[in-house]
Amino acid sequence: MRDKLILGRMIPTGSRVHELDPRAKITAMLLFAAALILSGGWAELAVLAVFSVIVLTATKIPLRTYLRALRPLRWLMLFVFLFQLFAGAGAGAAADSAAWTLGPVTLTAAGLSGALLAVSRMALLIVFTAMLTFTTTPSMLSRGIEGMIKPLSRKGSTGAERFSLMMRLALRFIPALLEESQTILKAQAARGADYEEMKIKEKARLLMSLLVPVTVGAFRRAEELTTSLEARGYRIGAPRTSYRRLSWSGADTFFTLLFVLLLAGTLTMRLML
Amino acid sequence: MSERETVIELKNVDYTYQAGSPFAAAALHDVNIRVRRGTLVGIAGGTGSGKSTLLQLVNGLLLPTGGSVSVLDHVLTPGMKKPRLNSLRRRVGLSFQFPEQHLFEDTVEKDLMFGPLNFGMPREEAQNRAAEALRAMRLDEALLKRHPLTLSGGQMRKAAIASVLAAGPEIVMLDEPTATLDSAARRELISLLERLCREEGRTILMVTHRVEELLHAADEWIVMHEGRAVFQGGPDELAGRAGELGGWGVAVPEQLRCWREWTSRLPQLSSLPMPRTAEEMAGAIERAVRGAGGSGGGPEREENLCATN
Repeated sequence: MRDKLILGRMIPTGSRVHELDPRAKITAMLLFAAALILSGGWAELAVLAVFSVIVLTATKIPLRTYLRALRPLRWLMLFVFLFQLFAGAGAGAAADSAAWTLGPVTLTAAGLSGALLAVSRMALLIVFTAMLTFTTTPSMLSRGIEGMIKPLSRKGSTGAERFSLMMRLALRFIPALLEESQTILKAQAARGADYEEMKIKEKARLLMSLLVPVTVGAFRRAEELTTSLEARGYRIGAPRTSYRRLSWSGADTFFTLLFVLLLAGTLTMRLML
Repeated sequence: MSERETVIELKNVDYTYQAGSPFAAAALHDVNIRVRRGTLVGIAGGTGSGKSTLLQLVNGLLLPTGGSVSVLDHVLTPGMKKPRLNSLRRRVGLSFQFPEQHLFEDTVEKDLMFGPLNFGMPREEAQNRAAEALRAMRLDEALLKRHPLTLSGGQMRKAAIASVLAAGPEIVMLDEPTATLDSAARRELISLLERLCREEGRTILMVTHRVEELLHAADEWIVMHEGRAVFQGGPDELAGRAGELGGWGVAVPEQLRCWREWTSRLPQLSSLPMPRTAEEMAGAIERAVRGAGGSGGGPEREENLCATN
């Protein structure tokens, strides 16, 4: 189970992208998503694709790994493709240019192009999110978000800190719970109920049976964790220094500016073309 | 013992977790191991040395990424189409670390019957086996109707081990079954395993990082270190290489240290094999001391020496 889920885990390669401030990377990510949403056609998308390939190469993580991050979402992407193909904006609009018709179903060149565009956008977005999580540890990520929302919150409020702690704990729990369900599945396989050998109905029943022990385990862990946080003097709103301070450097400004330019460029292209 | 058939054989086995992905992590390198039927084998090693991976390979939960694993009449090789392994798993039971966390049914009885039913036993027989396994673990049958999560820690652990025994496996593998048990429960569990081995002829593989708790019982030892099987041999051989244990991340067992102290002080002992129990050790020392014409009181001194170690 964990073998397949590679989104959300840092891959250390020591590249310059890894060393960037998480705030710069999150901002860049948001700018990229905005550019992606605002892009109107293949020309803009091509620019974005070339740009992202350059950034992905800079992370020194093989491109193949990014493609693997797409795998778990392949069915969703197929669904988006089909949906866009038959019900998207381009599908019905130009019925006269129908390339292929079967009863009520009409396939148009515009529809095909629109569907491909939608899927490509989605793929680029996923790959780019993967870039963020592959190059940033979850704790740095949550620290980055904390740093970004802190200026927005009222003075003296602990909202940012609470949010950041909550997120860090949630991120910490996901792999732990996955691992726990995997060991239970293994223990069941050892007692003759091999998940991989089962029919779909039996699989569903077995997964249901996981619900109780995994939930109980999650509560147990949560309880132990809060006790241990308290025992080590953790208190929301307590004055605290950071283990790792975020420091914004010239490279971060450069990186963010690149994405600002990208967004501006996409917008201009959209308006001009 | 040499005429006994080999039931488990690992030849040049490699195992890499998540092979081919950026998270690939090698767990076993070139492991060669043979286990004969009806022996009690202790597997020792530091954390992350590959002990648990080894057990999962023998059960077919993992397929080797190199070499071959033969267990009973099955041969598992890299890249093979995963065969249906229930016929193997019925005969090879595996109890995981913290087995109590793997109980999932709403009564202990259902949990104990889970294995037998999966292996195709009729309901009634499964029920009998469940009760029998519980008795074998010296648990009260009244627990059968209880919810597993309402048991005490020790009871839960025993119930979980019983759930593996209920299927009646020929080979029983346990991953650190004594961790978190108190010393009385630990001793009881080990004497139970010994009985399963000696009286019922089952093959037992037990992972532990406390060598001393199993030293008197084990016929053979396997020491894992950084994914390699650095040692396989009898307890005497292990005693002979006690000096290397520390380097393998295994604490030298008390009995061994005690015996080493004695042999360095009474050289006439050094030709003897290491006694397995405290009584045997006291006896050997007494004979050596009496034989040398020294004063008595051996057993008493031995205890003192052990205690100060």
